[in-house]
Amino acid sequence: MADRRRINGPPSGTKPPVFVSSTKAKERPQRQRQPNDLRKLFLKTGLIPSASGSAYLEFEPSASLSAARSSPQSLIPPSSALKLACTVHGPKPLPRSATFSPNLVLTTHVKYAPFAARTRKGHIRDSSERDLGVHLETALRGVIVAERWPKSGLDITITILEAEDDRWWGDTPDSHDAPWGMMNVLAGCITAASAAIADARIDCIDLVTGGVAALVSDQSAEGEASSPRLMLDTDPAEHKAILSACVVAYMPSRDEITELWLKGDSSNVSLEKGDSRSGHDALIDGAVDAARGAHTVLAEAVRESAARHSGLPVDAATT
Amino acid sequence: MAPAAAAASPAAQPTPPSLSLPPSQFARLQPHAYLLAHLSPPAASNHPSIRANGRAPSQFRVTSANTGSLTHTNGSAVVRVGETAAVCGVRAELLHTEDIASWSVTQPSAGSANKRRKLVDPTLKASETVGDSSEDTYDEDESHIEDLNLLVPNLSLSTGCAPGFIPGAPPSALAQSLSQQILSLLHSTRLVRADDLRIWYQPPNLGPEDLERHNESEQMDVDADEGEKNREIKAFWVLYIDVMIISLAGNPFDAAWASVLAALRDTKLPRAWWDIDNETVVCSDAVSDARKLTLRGMPVASSFCVFEADAAAGWRAVILPDAEEERKIAEDNRKGAQRRWILADPDGYEEGLSQERACIVVDKKGGNGKTVIVKMEKNGGWAIDSRELRQLVDISSQRWDHVRQILEQC
Amino acid sequence: MVGPNVTLTPLSRADGSASYQCPSTGSNILGSVNAPVELPGRRDALKPEEATVEVFVKPGTAPAGVGERYVEGIIKTMISRLILGREKGYPRRGVVITLAIVGGQPARRGDSYLTLLPALLNTSLLALLSASVPMSMTFSATSLAVTSTGDILREPTAEVANSAASVHVLAFSSKGHLLLNESQGAFDLDTWDNVRERALAICRGTASFGSDGDVTMTVDVDGQPLEGAIREAVEDQVHRDYAWSIDAV
Repeated sequence: MADRRRINGPPSGTKPPVFVSSTKAKERPQRQRQPNDLRKLFLKTGLIPSASGSAYLEFEPSASLSAARSSPQSLIPPSSALKLACTVHGPKPLPRSATFSPNLVLTTHVKYAPFAARTRKGHIRDSSERDLGVHLETALRGVIVAERWPKSGLDITITILEAEDDRWWGDTPDSHDAPWGMMNVLAGCITAASAAIADARIDCIDLVTGGVAALVSDQSAEGEASSPRLMLDTDPAEHKAILSACVVAYMPSRDEITELWLKGDSSNVSLEKGDSRSGHDALIDGAVDAARGAHTVLAEAVRESAARHSGLPVDAATT
Repeated sequence: MAPAAAAASPAAQPTPPSLSLPPSQFARLQPHAYLLAHLSPPAASNHPSIRANGRAPSQFRVTSANTGSLTHTNGSAVVRVGETAAVCGVRAELLHTEDIASWSVTQPSAGSANKRRKLVDPTLKASETVGDSSEDTYDEDESHIEDLNLLVPNLSLSTGCAPGFIPGAPPSALAQSLSQQILSLLHSTRLVRADDLRIWYQPPNLGPEDLERHNESEQMDVDADEGEKNREIKAFWVLYIDVMIISLAGNPFDAAWASVLAALRDTKLPRAWWDIDNETVVCSDAVSDARKLTLRGMPVASSFCVFEADAAAGWRAVILPDAEEERKIAEDNRKGAQRRWILADPDGYEEGLSQERACIVVDKKGGNGKTVIVKMEKNGGWAIDSRELRQLVDISSQRWDHVRQILEQC
Repeated sequence: MVGPNVTLTPLSRADGSASYQCPSTGSNILGSVNAPVELPGRRDALKPEEATVEVFVKPGTAPAGVGERYVEGIIKTMISRLILGREKGYPRRGVVITLAIVGGQPARRGDSYLTLLPALLNTSLLALLSASVPMSMTFSATSLAVTSTGDILREPTAEVANSAASVHVLAFSSKGHLLLNESQGAFDLDTWDNVRERALAICRGTASFGSDGDVTMTVDVDGQPLEGAIREAVEDQVHRDYAWSIDAV
């Protein structure tokens, strides 16, 4: 079934290349950070002048990835680092066909670029992309002061240029497996969207940020599984078994959570000694800590956006 | 364009003391007069004729390129032309010849493509030698790329790059046109060599290393095919070239094409061979084995638009001047006030004010650096004719030098 | 050179229609124009002061794809500049041009449509005339291929175009303006100047200006100029349509 609105490849379809195993790069990348260390974030606003607000977000490449970049040996990347662009258009009048709304109507749209993930993505949004859009909308709806713009719409569009891996490429999916990478992507989307909304000068009650934490049972060097550990900002490629993960959208100054997404089994997990919290409590606390960490970067980006807006003459930044 | 901007701006601005409009508001309310005022300042004032964005008419925006930053691609590039930004990722996948429905039927008898071309063989041979005079080898069966759809470029504007493109909607007419233009230009310039995309197999039991060495020597010398009667193509690389326009502020084609070009220059294909035991094609993941594409030339696109002083000329004056008269008027105008400006690399604001467009793609080949036009388009008006095109080709070839520097540095 | 085979108003339901067959490429186009029409579905896209021009190209054998969108854009850009969309009755309405490729070779994937473009343009002009849409000028379009030996071939078929060094489509207005140029393939400007000269001769003949400002067209190697052929087709049609009136005088 060819898509008439796009240029199609060979009608019989194509297969991704199959690599024969070579000894190098066969090792799982190791997490070099402490369990509660976050990856560095690059967040910049106002890169897309035709939008009312925009932000670009990039995760710092993991140690293994940056090593692979500087001295490439294998064509198979060990892991990947999130890169995404977010634009905000509006507030603008709702289309004629829309029904009356006393509030700002929020539309969120998350799309992976075809080359964003290890397997080629289609051009049409799939269920996971729709899912991300819904989660993002939930996260942002509680933050925006929607009553200020009756009969208006706000479009938030996120293009993911490079996604996080769901697992290490060498692993076959196992019972614990879930699209863990999606959770990191969502956290990035929330932070970037928050920056873009602030850049668009939309009134918000707080700056919301996303954070991820996971319970990981990594095999220790001796080969025996240790008790699950709580890790913040996990890169799924670096862990053999993620038991459960949690992403929150968190407003630090109000200490409120607008979105909580917890996946995996965290009920029967016993944490390390001296930690009496239940698994999901620990997860949520961890995710909130991660979100707090992202907040400093976000605040800096928003400050920069504000300086840009006030430093320039009227709306020069938008034309 | 963006009502939100108007709503947002008063907060940032200290209260205007008088009723006179600030320039930015004037630009929004009277865009045509605003640009005209910039381009034809009163003779008394000493202002030079300059565009509203501060550029001279034939000046391009600052261009930058960056390649290889996307992890999951065979080649990638980010090109920014002013505030227009395009990200291109090239992804290679395999097409096995056994999956091609018509392959076994057509291939033993010289290939489907050859039949089509045989009809015009005399002209064909000659034209291709000319087209490739500066290149070392020529591959006689280039048509594989076109016949088997080995290049798949797609451009997406639904990235929130500008208001008006609904995300999630099917590609707009503009996006489809741009995709088609890129594909058509890839085909007509024959930028990618079909031979780079072929995966050969030699039935005699040679080890993979031997086979590879064998192939390499063959590529050097296509004529020496005595012992290679039974050499066959087992698979092709298909290049999915996806361009995401991240930010659109006019002139998407130049940026998109530059990003495609830069990404293809960055593209590395892994070494691949037919594995007889598994009956499939496997690849080596070693970077040292991978090879870059060898592209034919470096065509660079330059776009222009025409801004007319009298915006309504096209419809109000039903009696339009003849082409001859027009030339005379133009001659007179050169002495006096100008009424048309050809603006290079228009931004979104200027594109909205002009109807006539021109796009010229040039390449420079060989040691003498002679400019070759690869594509030349003009449409939507009658201001650009031979004389103007000649100037535009000159500007485009200067632009080529500039873009080459940028691409070679990244 | 044999002139094109033109029929005006072959369709009775459309406001205007034309069929055009180019003898050398074999392309056969059936075009219809409806104007002015209300476009209720496009209320947001309508311009307050002007007519909205919409062009649809339908390939004969397959549903329209990306390539068709591209030619539609080219035709639309060129035609919208010529239609007097601000005449009474046109603003906020649509001019809908539908062009069906009835015969000839279908365009392949990634083809630039250059060999079909002149026929499409000439058909749309005839259909617009047939629908009496006000226009500032008429035009005529042709395609030329330059072979590697430097020969210029008129209206090449798809095979010839494929093997040519460069292919050019040019359209000239009835007043001699260069309205459209689409060139593809490697060439230099001197070649293009020759191409332009030849195209001008094909479209408009080697024109000489009469004292009364009328343009008389002379016949040369290229046979009757295209513009003349188009003009004659329209004149013949008018003659037939008003036969009753002319006879009555």
